[in-house]
Amino acid sequence: MECSRNSITSRPGHYRAAVVENRLLSRRYYLLVLSRPGAMQDPGPGTFIHVMVPAGDRFYLRRPFSVLDCDADTISLIIVEKGEGTRAMRALPVGAELDLIGPLGHSFPRVPGQRVLALGGGVGLAPLYYYGRRREVRDCESYRLLYGARTREDLFLERFDWDTEAVTFSSDDGSYGHAGTVVALAEREIERWGADVIFSCGPNPMLKAAAEFATRRGLPHYVSLENRMACALGACRSCVVPVRENGGIAYRTVCNDGPVFDADTLAWEGLPAA
Amino acid sequence: MNRKTRTDSTVRIGPVTFKNPVFIASGICGYGEEYSPLIRIEDLGGVVTKTITLRPRLGNPPPRIHEIPTGALNSIGLENVGLDNYITDKLPRLRDRGVGVIVSIAAELAEEFVEFAEKLAPLDGYQGVELNLSCPNIDEEALDHGRNPEFVEEITRIVKTRLPERALLVKITPNVTDIAAVARAAEAGGADGISAVNTIVGVDFDLDSGQPIFDRGSGGYSGPGILPIALQKVWEVAQAVSIPIMGIGGISSIEDARKFFIAGASAIQVGTALFVDPELTMNIVSAFDDRPEWMRRGPF
Repeated sequence: MECSRNSITSRPGHYRAAVVENRLLSRRYYLLVLSRPGAMQDPGPGTFIHVMVPAGDRFYLRRPFSVLDCDADTISLIIVEKGEGTRAMRALPVGAELDLIGPLGHSFPRVPGQRVLALGGGVGLAPLYYYGRRREVRDCESYRLLYGARTREDLFLERFDWDTEAVTFSSDDGSYGHAGTVVALAEREIERWGADVIFSCGPNPMLKAAAEFATRRGLPHYVSLENRMACALGACRSCVVPVRENGGIAYRTVCNDGPVFDADTLAWEGLPAA
Repeated sequence: MNRKTRTDSTVRIGPVTFKNPVFIASGICGYGEEYSPLIRIEDLGGVVTKTITLRPRLGNPPPRIHEIPTGALNSIGLENVGLDNYITDKLPRLRDRGVGVIVSIAAELAEEFVEFAEKLAPLDGYQGVELNLSCPNIDEEALDHGRNPEFVEEITRIVKTRLPERALLVKITPNVTDIAAVARAAEAGGADGISAVNTIVGVDFDLDSGQPIFDRGSGGYSGPGILPIALQKVWEVAQAVSIPIMGIGGISSIEDARKFFIAGASAIQVGTALFVDPELTMNIVSAFDDRPEWMRRGPF
């Protein structure tokens, strides 16, 4: 796949990791910091880990979470409370052990010498924040992150260790940063900063708008998708999305062919609206 | 561990001896290699590869998986690369690694099974074939075939006469009134073993839309919730046939695996639980290596 060009290939393992920190970032998002298993491969930006929810018999399948940050000792995730599973993880105390598989999937590509404009929506911030912090950023000419959410309450980047010169905020309701969508912000910011390639991660409608934006500008666009998964290894074919291939449709797994895809290959009309 | 103990955990199915009775069920580990980052599939009795059809299949549109507390519903729809790609790209990789392989195949018409068997016959790199006559996620007609004892017997005979040196398993559906009749038909057609059971037809609804979760409506239910149903069906089949049974359905622990042997199985396949616990099959292999007496069938 085109999407895997210049990306890091994951070598997943099965590990246990202890909760180091678990704190609310905003009304629906929380930061979960885990001890990094010693043998775990350095996860590339865009890769994810597949976590078992430690909540008795209420949940069966694992849940995938994009890596927000990683250093020698810890691996961090942003989690949005979507349902009972993520609510149960919110309640994990420091010291609790989690069972995880990872890292998994393909990272965003390295783009030496290019100007990256990255569009993050809501929890989709994670891989883009991480990309900005990693050595890959030295490869690109510049890395500008535009980060938006519905409202100020859903934004939490100001609490992070981030070079604020390189990030611009937006909120749909205008309660923080620029009023409007992150794609609307991109239309403006690209005039100021320029861009050779677009990265995006967020809800599907936002990604689709970002894809239309990139197409209008004639720019390559890499998009990170999420989906419900079972194996996360490319075996069970549960998490597929449609791509255009040979004049028709084929299915690719978000877990193993993705989660980062070349946006031009995706059959957007076949992706879920929400 | 001494050699004798290991030898004792081999299992014979028709003309083939597998190194132990623990297999990964079809549809779980793809074409065999996908789980290699996490487990040594060479140490298993074997893997049943993802069901293939004569021609590639796109499969069902997403969503394809739906979690419930006791397992999952799936609606993959037999997405697969087709027989020719399987022969060229998938089978050789496992052959070179010495993995026990059971090729899962599905078709609708008798002549398609003839073509399948004739194309598979000259190949090496696999020891067995499993007839998937019971996938709930494709046309209803195909599933109905798997419920029809006359059809099951005819198809089994077609394949077995062309593949006499392989272990031929017939995977049967629990979605029938009389599972013993279908199992007896497979035995009469020359099957070397029965794989029981496939997923159970199930449905769930989205409360906001009032529509089924899956585009096709129903899906296949698997996971720990189906264990007692699968044990019941294996128990019924064990009293109806004398060929070996591969017990499948809801195995999530060594203890669950043991229960299938008590019910009358000679081997087991692990399915959905592997998504949660990738080492489960390896742990069951170790347990049965240590305690081969757990492989004794019955009493029932």
